[in-house]
Amino acid sequence: MAARQTARITREVRPLLSLDNHEARLRVLGLYRAWFRQIPYMVRQYSLIVDEDMARAKLRQKFMEHAHVQDIRVIDMLVVKGQQDLKEVAENWAMPTHIISKFFKVTVDDRPKDFMSKFLSGQD
Amino acid sequence: MATVLRQALFSGIRASCSTPTSSIVGVRTLGTSRNSHAKEEKGVDGSRVALKEASDAVIEVHDPYRVNKKIVVQGPNDLAPVVGVPEEHLKERSVRIFRPAKNAMQSGTAGVRRWKIEFDTRQRWENNLMGWASSGDPLSNMQIDFASKEEATAFVEKHGWSYWVEDPKERAPKVKSYALNFAWNRRTRKSTK
Repeated sequence: MAARQTARITREVRPLLSLDNHEARLRVLGLYRAWFRQIPYMVRQYSLIVDEDMARAKLRQKFMEHAHVQDIRVIDMLVVKGQQDLKEVAENWAMPTHIISKFFKVTVDDRPKDFMSKFLSGQD
Repeated sequence: MATVLRQALFSGIRASCSTPTSSIVGVRTLGTSRNSHAKEEKGVDGSRVALKEASDAVIEVHDPYRVNKKIVVQGPNDLAPVVGVPEEHLKERSVRIFRPAKNAMQSGTAGVRRWKIEFDTRQRWENNLMGWASSGDPLSNMQIDFASKEEATAFVEKHGWSYWVEDPKERAPKVKSYALNFAWNRRTRKSTK
């Protein structure tokens, strides 16, 4: 694999929304709080098979998945996407199956990892 | 892209920050949104309150103060968190960057003045009924041309794929001349028929 030469380069770019880390952080916290407050309504409104605690745990997990992201533009884009998801849920545009399949993935089986389970499932 | 996105996403959102100190105002809007909607909470449908708050999470982006502002980022571009491609196709795939080979017939070379990327081969199988070739790999048919090797490399790097570059072997064209058949210092010249 070729060496990543751009690893240490600092450059000036156009921002998406936020002009600094502090502002991006406030957006993330604002989105988290909005989701957190929406969860009880979401669970009730969609009669979900998950309860509020599971939903909150999933919310936290989804945010922590991107804890390593440093680029302010990427953080902003993630906030925008999270906000879109929230709007879909709050406006009743989503359906229960959308929420469950998108965030909880209860029907998705893990792909076989080791040789034997790959062989038995007929995949290479 | 960014402008279109912004207009599409935030056309309905008008926050109160048109002053030159908008970043501070914006921050204040974010911080105090909870209090400002405390009154609405009683009257309006509760599920809308959180949504309103989420709208406040983004502030006015068509603000004159923000136009032409730049930010400084470090490190390579990494689109992996936002492209929406499943993790298995970002982390486990490897990419070959190459220049297509010239057609062996008498075609010209216009088709080879480009760089292409190609992913590692995944499982393929034959359809039992019709014998069609099948694959479950969404990246197997991806055809992208790049003008240069650097462009291709940058594209692959920002998606986080591992890659290797296959440089074509440049071949110096052989000099061919009919007149050389009759050169005075070559064995090609025949004295008699």
